[in-house]
Formats: sequence, structure tokens, C-alpha cells
Amino acid sequence: MSARASRTGRSLFLLAPLLLFLAGFFVWPLFSMMSQAVSDTAVLRLLPQSAEVLAGWDRKSPPTPEMQTALIADLKAVEDTQALGDMVRRLNSARSGFRTLMSKTTSALSDEADPPADLVSIDKRWERPEFWLAIADALSPLTDRNLLAAVDLGRNADGEIEHLPADQSVNRVILVRTFWISALVTFACIAIGYPYAIIAASLSGWKRDVMLAAVLLPLWTSLLVRTAAWFILLQEQGLINDVLQMLGLTSGPVQLIFNRTGVVIAMTHVLLPFMVLPIYSVLITIPKNLMPAAASLGAHPLRAFLRVLLPLSLRGVAAGSLLVFISAIGYYITPALIGGPGDQMISSIIAFYAIGSANWGMAGALGVVLLAATLVLYSVYARLSADEPGRR
Amino acid sequence: MRRRRSFLLPGGEKVAEGRMRGPALCPTARAREPLLAEFIRFDRITKFYGPLCVVENLDLGIGKGEFVSLLGPSGSGKTTLLMMLAGFEQPTSGTILVDGQAVNDVPTHKRDMGVVFQSYALFPHMTVGENIAFPLEMRGLGKAEIADRVTRALDMVQLSAMRERRPAQLSGGQQQRVALARALVFEPRVVLMDEPLGALDKQLREQMQLDIRDLHRRLGLTIVFVTHDQSEALTMSDRVAVFNKGKIEQIGTPRQVYDEPATRFVAEFIGETNLIEGVVARISGGEAAVRLASGAEIVSAVSGGVAEGATVYLSVRPERIELAEARNAAHNCLETEVTDSVYQGDHLRVELAAGSHPLIAKLGRRSREFEPGTKVFAAFSAGDCRVIAPPDGQRQAAAS
Amino acid sequence: MALRFSKLAFSVLAILFLVAPLIAILPLAFTSSVILTYPIPSWSMRWFTELFTADAWRRAIVNSLIIGTGTTLLATVLGTAASLGLRNRLVFFRGTFRTLFLLPMVVPAVVLGVGMQVLLARFGLTNSYAGVIIAHTVVAVPFVVVSVTGALAGIDERVELAAESLGAPPATVFRRVTLPLALPGVLSGAVLAFATSLDEVVLTLFVAGPNQRTLARQMFSSIRENISPAIAAAAFLFIAATIAIGLIVVLSRSVLAKRRAPVH
Ligand SMILES: Nc1ncnc2c1ncn2[C@@H]1O[C@H](COP(=O)(O)OP(=O)(O)OP(=O)(O)O)[C@@H](O)[C@H]1O
Ligand SMILES: [Mg+2]
Repeated sequence: MSARASRTGRSLFLLAPLLLFLAGFFVWPLFSMMSQAVSDTAVLRLLPQSAEVLAGWDRKSPPTPEMQTALIADLKAVEDTQALGDMVRRLNSARSGFRTLMSKTTSALSDEADPPADLVSIDKRWERPEFWLAIADALSPLTDRNLLAAVDLGRNADGEIEHLPADQSVNRVILVRTFWISALVTFACIAIGYPYAIIAASLSGWKRDVMLAAVLLPLWTSLLVRTAAWFILLQEQGLINDVLQMLGLTSGPVQLIFNRTGVVIAMTHVLLPFMVLPIYSVLITIPKNLMPAAASLGAHPLRAFLRVLLPLSLRGVAAGSLLVFISAIGYYITPALIGGPGDQMISSIIAFYAIGSANWGMAGALGVVLLAATLVLYSVYARLSADEPGRR
Repeated sequence: MRRRRSFLLPGGEKVAEGRMRGPALCPTARAREPLLAEFIRFDRITKFYGPLCVVENLDLGIGKGEFVSLLGPSGSGKTTLLMMLAGFEQPTSGTILVDGQAVNDVPTHKRDMGVVFQSYALFPHMTVGENIAFPLEMRGLGKAEIADRVTRALDMVQLSAMRERRPAQLSGGQQQRVALARALVFEPRVVLMDEPLGALDKQLREQMQLDIRDLHRRLGLTIVFVTHDQSEALTMSDRVAVFNKGKIEQIGTPRQVYDEPATRFVAEFIGETNLIEGVVARISGGEAAVRLASGAEIVSAVSGGVAEGATVYLSVRPERIELAEARNAAHNCLETEVTDSVYQGDHLRVELAAGSHPLIAKLGRRSREFEPGTKVFAAFSAGDCRVIAPPDGQRQAAAS
Repeated sequence: MALRFSKLAFSVLAILFLVAPLIAILPLAFTSSVILTYPIPSWSMRWFTELFTADAWRRAIVNSLIIGTGTTLLATVLGTAASLGLRNRLVFFRGTFRTLFLLPMVVPAVVLGVGMQVLLARFGLTNSYAGVIIAHTVVAVPFVVVSVTGALAGIDERVELAAESLGAPPATVFRRVTLPLALPGVLSGAVLAFATSLDEVVLTLFVAGPNQRTLARQMFSSIRENISPAIAAAAFLFIAATIAIGLIVVLSRSVLAKRRAPVH
């Protein structure tokens, strides 16, 4: 018994370093990304005193003098005009009329000669609780605004969820585009990879080795090298255009790069091995004599395929498709280099928000969407490959 | 002369002689005798895997220099028992004693037992020579002595030419002999073998059976041998322990377990047998008269544990049955009708019906053919027939 | 007949699709021109010279080697230890741990990059070698775990039990039996970890500063901003290295297989 316990102890001791490492540098980053998505301290940072006072407000009665003094003090202390502008824009979208109210208020407050006694004396609207309500809501450190915006939803003045106006609805277009490109790539991979795997599995000796090596070589080659290769091949004076013109198929160069065609071609090339290998590994476990057996029982080759090989290999096709699709929806490099502005997928948008505009909230929210989609698909994949018969 | 050669021990003859005092000198006599000096004892061993009881309250003693086979169907706990003896598994309760010392808390590497696995478990990354040298290195022997002993061990298993090869470059039988040499080279106190011949083809298996038996006699080894091949157990062992569901059903010499099966399970598991149900009518002088459902009465040898009026089984080996045209007064005789007869090369197998009860007889190959439908008498002596007491539960039911 | 011909044609075209782009880029590494098009006016080694002398490229190569080495060491040690720990069937949550160890392979790099940047900024590790090595190790470790657990699963446990019964204490069993048998798996895991680090762009984009620009990162911006045949030269080196690494992996696998395959 004690030997057993010490063996377990030793195993845990071996597991601990990687567990701690991944907890710290994998799980935690994902959580901080998610918390970026739902945290919102922009307004809170600007109005710290109002936040304290508003916490005690009943959200219904007219504003107390303390609330007004706190807000005046906060507004006077603001130096970052851009942050102030952002805040006003947000408040205005929650309660229209805030923009004029605020500009009137700030200019009145900056009047050194005749400082206003309180806010109501600047504008009567400060008497109405609705405006204070908007501020109180914006002060909350948690928000679902980013997550809703990630799927082009927002809250209206009454706090109900509704679609954002068309001019702000870019994310849904990009999500649909991401799934559409991924589906195209998956389909192309099935169309090439499935017959390829069937042929490879039916061969033997050096022929099979060549076919497998042709899959493994790209798999092992740097992704950037492959993308660079396609970049060079697909460009206007690239080899493919040369060949097309030489064969007389086109008169002038065809635009293959910086558009959808190029992205799909390059991504298919990159992901094709992930389709071929799972199908192949399922196919080689199928006894070779099944197709001849079906034929001997009188089945036409096509019928034999439909009734024997297809059902048996379907699991491999499903696994390969999921693998390709999962990889495709998270792709960044290939669309970024080969695609045009209209082919950018969700990863590019996340990178844009994170690196380009430091909008961590939106980057995090879109990241949550992508992560959720990936994990759901992966769990399906894991289930599919877990109950593979004969393994383990 | 063979017996005097020691292949393993340096300057070995003296030690070897010492080891061989006792049973090894007269193997034939030994087979009849029970334990000499008891060397290994399983004392009320129980083993659970989770809720599953794999070995149940088991007692077993093994003598020094004895060859004991553990025989039983798959899953009956043989391997588990061996693994507990080797120290790979811990009994849930009970004590294992070796040479009078409890070894429950002794780790495997200090138990000094050679183990031969069914899959041989050779080190794939070492040569044959390195494999055999491994246990000697672990014991801190000098280089020269290791080389010397490895040479002798390889001689013993006739693999001297293979010393530099990797296990993967050997045939199954050769790998098996390397495994054997590796388990013997450090002169362990006990050698444990778990179906070591299971993966070999029939011819090689029979050859290896003889080789192992020969080694056992020459070196005076104590061997615990697991098998589910009954003929292997009968040919090789001094004693056979028949396992069923984690318990020992019977332990005895090969002759005892074959001729005097103690339970229905043993009778059926070892060899083929006819089981006939009946009620004990009388018991006198080591013989019992059993009345069958058909009213016929059969006289059979009996040992204790059976009362008059009990429902019992009679076990008759098919090869002990003779077929006669007429009743033979000296023997038990059952009126039967031939239902089928098949010539099987070394014997003639005749299927009979005694009333509604089927019987099988194996006749010498010179026996005449029997057409189906022929009426014959199945005759057998009282000594060729055993009374098997029903299990406890049934016995009570029969008594009430 | 027609079927056989179309099969052949399909196979040839598919192989061409898979391999031709990689081959087509190779000669361009030796062009003397500044543009990446055929026909090649004349041959020269100028782009290799550029690769090893131009400051940006040279620094990128050195950085890749530093970061790749660090990642390989860290990922191999962590991954091998964890794989050994995963062997024990008595460990609770074994399956959960395994899934967790493989998950970095699945999570999109951009998502991980965003989180990683936020977190490393908190620790002041952005724009540092340590930060990049940590990020690369997270995505390289699954390859080590897969490779080493595969090698360990191939070890017959009875071989280790046999060693123990022959008198070897647990530490010796590990050193003399388990480790040598798992070594090909550990080595190919290390190779894969290095290759992963070498090829990693997205995380590098998020966590590395200008001083940690790796070769892959440099290639990325070079394709994006001003593509030159230096890319083809770098690609040439990559492909040559890939083939070399591939051969190492294949050889170590076949050594492993040869050791295991019993001859009956
Ligand atoms: N590690 C284990 N965990 C759980 N159950 C086990 C374990 N090892 C063995 N068992 C169970 O214990 C029972 C006895 O197993 P054991 O290996 O001792 O049988 P055996 O008599 O050697 O059979 P065989 O002839 O097939 O080798 C079996 O039902 C088996 O499923
Ligand atoms: Mg067994």
C-alpha cells in the first residue's frame, strides 16, 4: 500500500511542474483575456468620486447635492480629453442628449470667473434621474457590451438587447466570412484529400511511400515558407500566371493574390495533410479484401464503395474535416499575407483590435467567441476519436 | 552424470551437490511425496481489485526444490498470485512467507526471485549478453565474473552464438531461452514462470517443457509455474494446484488430480470425463454403491466426506470404459446404445446413450467399429470410478 | 483502364499541388535579381550573403536560435516529466490532465496571444526573451507530450517489472530501462519543440519586442512589407532543415520499430 502511495506521489511530483506552468501561462492568460472582454473601467477611472457617491443612490430619486459636487470635482480633474470624448460617446448612446449636455457642462465648469454653484444651475436636465442612471450604469466595472458587440448586438436606452445599426455591424460579417472560408477550405480538402487517402491506402511499397511523403513534407515545412511560396507563385508575374498565359488559357495576368481565391488555395495546401492523415489511418485498418469481397458478392464498384468503404471511412472523414475546420477558423498568417482586406478572418480582426488599436475589450470579446467555437468543435472531435474501436 | 554438472555456480559442484540433496536426487520418488522442507507459504491470502475478489483466503505451501504448477482457467487468479509472490502486487490481506520470513513489505528488487514472463520481457535495447548480465550487475559482481557466468548461462540454453544479438533478432523460442537464462543466472531462491511457453508452437513447446524440467532436476530449483495447459502441468510438475475463481480446488500430484479429482470442476477441467448423477445407497470399506436415476447401481471408490443418501456425481474417464457384448460380473455395467463412433487416429471415440444419459468411451485403436444403434454394455471397474461430493449448498439440499 | 488512368492523373496532380510550391521557391533563392520571378536572369549567392550579413536578418537568426534552444529545453523537460507522471494509472484526473496538456495545440494562436500579452505585461515580461520562450513553450509542450507518451505507451510494462525482479531498484529501472526506451520519443519531441518555436509567428507578434524578432517574424514582415529573394533564401534553409529533421525523426522511429519488432 505504501509503495503504491509513494508511486502516486512520485507521479504527481512529475506532473506538477507542467501543471503549474500551464496554469500560469496558458489557463491564466485565457482567463485574463476573458476578463478583459467583460471588464470596463474606462468610465470608472475618470469618475472615481462620483462612483463612491452613486453607490449609495437609490436610482430613482432626483440627484442629491453630494452627487453633483462629486461629479463636478471629477469632471474638473479630467485631463485626458480623448478618454472624456469616449465616455461622452458612450453616455450619449445610452441616453441621447448627453453630448450637448456634457459640452455645455464642461464649458460652464471651465469658466473660472463665474463658477456654477451646482449642475442643475447649468442645465435643468441634470435634475432628471435618467441621466444619472446612465452614468451609474457606465460606472459598473463589469459589462457585456463587448461580448454583445462581438456579435453585433447592443443595449438600447431601456437596457434591452437589440441589433446594432448596420454601419456598426461589421463583426457578424466577419464571423460569417470566417466560417464560410473555413467551410470552403474544408470542402476543398475533402475533395482532394479523401480520394488521395483512398488511393494511398490502396497502394503498397514505394508508391505508397511517395504519396505519404508528399503529404508529410509540406506538413513538416514551415508555415511561413509555404505561405511565402504561394505568395510568389500566385503573384501577377508568378509562375501560375506564366503557365496560364503560356497555355493560352488567359490573355493577361489573372488576379490570384490578395483575394479569396488565393486564400482558399493557400489554406487548402496548408491544411490538406490534416485531412489526408486521419482518413488514411482509418482506411489502413480496413481489411484489404472487403472491396473484392463486395465485388464477389455482385456489387458494382461504385455500389461497393457506397456500401462498404464509405461507411467504414466516414469517421476518418469527419475527424479530418473537424481538424481542418478548427484549424481554419483560427487562421491568421495565411489570410493576413495572401488575402485582401475583404478576406480577413476573425483572427485578423482580433489582432487588429489588440495590436493596432489597443482595444483589449473588443479583442477579448472576439477572442471569447473564437475560443468558444474552437472548444465546442474540439470536444466533438475528441469524442469522435476517443471511441475509435480497437484503439487503447 | 548430467545431474552433477552445474552450469551456473562458480566452482559449482560442491554447492550444486548441496542443493541437490533431497528431492532432486530421486525425482521419481519425490513425485509421490508431499512437501519436504516448506520454503514458501501463502497464509490466508486475499486480493481484491476494487470490489472484485480475485484471490480468496488462499493457503498454499511449496517445498524447497519443488516444481509446483498453478493450473486453472483464464481469470482464475493464477497470475495475480504469482505477481504477489514476486512483489509486483500487494495482497489485500494475508501473509506471504519465504524461508520463514514474511516478505509482504520487501520490495521486488530485494526478493531475489527470477521471473519469466509470458512475453519474455527482454530488454529490447540491450543485447542478449547484456540482458543476462543485468541481474549480475545489479548485484555488484565484478566484470570478469559477470562475463564468466553469462557465458555459462548461454551455454546452458545453447545460445552462445547469439550473445551480441538484440532480442528482436531472435526467434520466439530463442527469446524464451534468453528469458530463462536471465532469470536463472543469478541463482534466485525461487523461479516464477507465468505461461512461459504460451507463445511457442507445439513442437517447440514440448521441447522447452523437457528442457525446463531437466534444468529443474539438475539445479534443484524451486519453481512456481503458471499455465492453463493441463497436459503441460501434468507432464512437468511435482504437484499441481488447480485454481478456480481465486480458490484452489485441489492440490496434489499429477496422478492424484487426474485419477482422484476432488471436485466436479477438477474432474471436468483436467481431461475429459463422464459425470453421472446418483444417490449414495451404501458405503462400506472405501467403496460406495450409488443408485442412478435409471435404477442401476454402480460401485465406486470413495474417500471421506460423503454420507449415505447424498446426491453425488460419479466421474469415469472415457479411456477406462470398455465396451462388451455381455454383462461382466466383476465390473460395473451399464446398458447402452451406440449413438456415434469416430475414428481419431490414436483412439476410437464412441458416443453412447445410457437411457437418457450420454456417455463417452475412448477405445484403443485396434478396437472394432461400432455401428450407431448397436446395443453394448459399458463396463468399468470400481477403482476407475470416483465419487465426487456435491458442493456444500447442494449437499444440504440433498440431505433435507 | 479509364479508372486507372484517372487515378494516376489525380495522384500526380495532387502530389504536384502538395510539393510543387515548395520546389518552385527553391531556385529563386539563387537569383541575382531583386524580384522574385522566373525566368532567373543569372545565378548568385547574394541573398544568402544578405541573410547572414544584413543586420535585421542576422539578428533574427540569432534570436531564433536563442529562443528555439530555450523553448526546446524547457518544453522537453516539462513535457517529459509530465508524460512520465501520466503513466501512472492511479493518478486522479489523468484524462483531464492529458487534455489540458494538449489543449494549447487547439486554442487559436491569436486568442492565446491576446491573453499572453495581457498577462506578460502584468509581470513585466513583454519584450523579453523569457516572455517569448514561455509563450513558445506553451505551444511546443503538447508536441513533446504526444511524442513522449507515445514512446512510453510502447514500452511493455513487464520489461520494467522484469528489471525490478532482477534486482534493480526503481531509480535504476528508470535509468537503465525506461529512459533508454523512451529516448527516441524524447528526442523527436525535442525536435518538434524546436521546429514549433522556429515557425511560431503569431505569439511572437504579440509578446516579442523589436529585440526579440525571430526569423519567422522577420519573414512575416518581409513578405508583408517588402518582399525580396532573401525570403526565398530563408525558405531554402528552412526546407533543407526540414528534410534533415524529417530524416532524423524517420530514422529514430525505424530504430525504435526495429528494436520492438519481434521476429517469430
Ligand atoms: N490490475 C488489475 N486491475 C483490475 N483487475 C485485474 C487486474 N489484474 C487482473 N485483474 C482481474 O483479476 C482476475 C484474475 O486475473 P489473473 O491475471 O490473475 O488471471 P489468470 O488466472 O492469470 O488468467 P489467464 O490465464 O488469462 O492469464 C481477472 O478477472 C482480471 O480481470
Ligand atoms: Mg495470467
